[in-house]
Amino acid sequence: MQNFYWRWQFKTAPYRFVAPFFILFVVFVFLPFVFSIYLSFTNWHGEEVKTFVGLDNYKTLLTNREFWQSLLNSIIIFVLYVPVMLLLALIFASCLSSSWMKWTGFFRTVFFIPNITSVVAISFVFLLIFNSTGILNQVLMNAGVIHEPIPFLETPWWARISVSVLVVFRWTGYNMILLLGGMQSISKSLYEAAEVDGASGIKSFWYITLPMMKRLLAFCTVLSTLGTFSLFTEPFILTKGGPNLATTTPVMLIYKESFQNLNMGYASTISIFFFIVMMILSLMQLRLFRDND
Amino acid sequence: MRKQHKTLSIVVLLVFLLLAAVFMFPFIWMLSSSLKDKSEIFANPPIWIPDTFHWENFTQLFTERHFGNVIVNSLFTAVTGTVGALFFCSLAGFAFAKYNFRGKRLLFGLVLASLMIPMESSMVPLFIIYRDLGLIDHLWGVILPRLTSAFGIFYMRQYCMSVENELLEAARMDGCSENRIYFRIVAPILIPAFASLGIIFFVEEWNNFLWPSVILRSEDKLTIAVAIRSLQSGVRTPYNLIMSGSVISILPMLAVIFIFQKQIFAGLTEGTVKG
Repeated sequence: MQNFYWRWQFKTAPYRFVAPFFILFVVFVFLPFVFSIYLSFTNWHGEEVKTFVGLDNYKTLLTNREFWQSLLNSIIIFVLYVPVMLLLALIFASCLSSSWMKWTGFFRTVFFIPNITSVVAISFVFLLIFNSTGILNQVLMNAGVIHEPIPFLETPWWARISVSVLVVFRWTGYNMILLLGGMQSISKSLYEAAEVDGASGIKSFWYITLPMMKRLLAFCTVLSTLGTFSLFTEPFILTKGGPNLATTTPVMLIYKESFQNLNMGYASTISIFFFIVMMILSLMQLRLFRDND
Repeated sequence: MRKQHKTLSIVVLLVFLLLAAVFMFPFIWMLSSSLKDKSEIFANPPIWIPDTFHWENFTQLFTERHFGNVIVNSLFTAVTGTVGALFFCSLAGFAFAKYNFRGKRLLFGLVLASLMIPMESSMVPLFIIYRDLGLIDHLWGVILPRLTSAFGIFYMRQYCMSVENELLEAARMDGCSENRIYFRIVAPILIPAFASLGIIFFVEEWNNFLWPSVILRSEDKLTIAVAIRSLQSGVRTPYNLIMSGSVISILPMLAVIFIFQKQIFAGLTEGTVKG
């Protein structure tokens, strides 16, 4: 039974099992990434010869307004939507996990639907809604709330707000589900004890739910940070990164420089910088993961 | 006190119904616009329900825009990508959970580290590699990078921990090979995990946009998200057709949420809360 073949297949099994992941990872992620580092030091537009230019691209990057603007835009959009989204998600989750709430299954599904439906589809419908002659402006004007259409997509700040509204619409349900999961793991006896002591619903939310959810909320925040910096499809369709670069994100910049302007070298430099930002953020995420255990 | 509670809960319910209406509005507007004539899209006053339903918007997508192919392409990439990723992730997750082997810690560390390289930062060279391999404008080019998922490995590893060692040992005593152990013992136990993770992968793949839009070119090779976007053209964009395409793209996802919501919610919370 314990023949040579059996021992061989037993010894190699774990390696054979992890091999597919590593082969695919090396070919489709790691090698391209290393190649990307190399390209970031060249001035390359897709032709045969790649000229080595040292740190030139990095100098351009650091002095380039577009790049800093894209980082700033991400931060602004983050500040605009994350507090609103997490607050909404927290309210949804705490109401939907309480015993007196009706139709919780229905509401949970409704709020989650935007997250699993196509970003492209949703971005296009928001384009129709936010258009200067779109439904939202028409309804507001016909109701006499405003007299001039609001330039939802045409001025920098409104464009950022519109992108933020779209992101809140898509991601509130997702965060609500994560928070619901956390709330269900809080022991019911804590709330019962609080009720016996005469604490109101709001008090037990403040003193039991919130402290227990602190880590999870931090986790959601970090996830949102990663999400904001890699935001692409929403501004790509809704605002095309404009007006005046106001909603251009780092990933949009990579896309534009590499596949539209064919500045492959410079695009790689942005990619590497983008990687560094994302790495710092993921390290924060891993730390939170570890503390959770 | 009790009465106050009751009125409060009714008020909250009403507010939630209003919010639900707000959350559903874009979908209703999408459906309404998908049945309009192009001239009715921005009509003032707004048209809520078009006088005549322009079903030809939908048929036009199939006859002129290859939407038949597009749907098949999307299904093919989503199903193949999902099945492949589940297979590879569960194999690796099983190995990390149930075997002791030299280099295990290092390899697992690499899986962790792989999380830190976002796809976007190796997009440029990957495009060059694809050009040399002839994967541009090829559906396999969409599928291949999706087959690795560090998140999937974590998830499967976590789930494999619950497989009892005695079960594996007993099978080995009977001379069962490790491959057979995976297929006959582990895989059946993992079915609920396959369901939860598989739905998440499927949804992501179906809605995937950035990379497919970079490599797919021909109209009959597109996946649905890219196909919808390809309808946008200069000044005279046919928004009614875009909305029809959007309706087609969200219908399967609505079916998914109504059938599998338990698995989706379980998958999301297990994957992140327990880490």
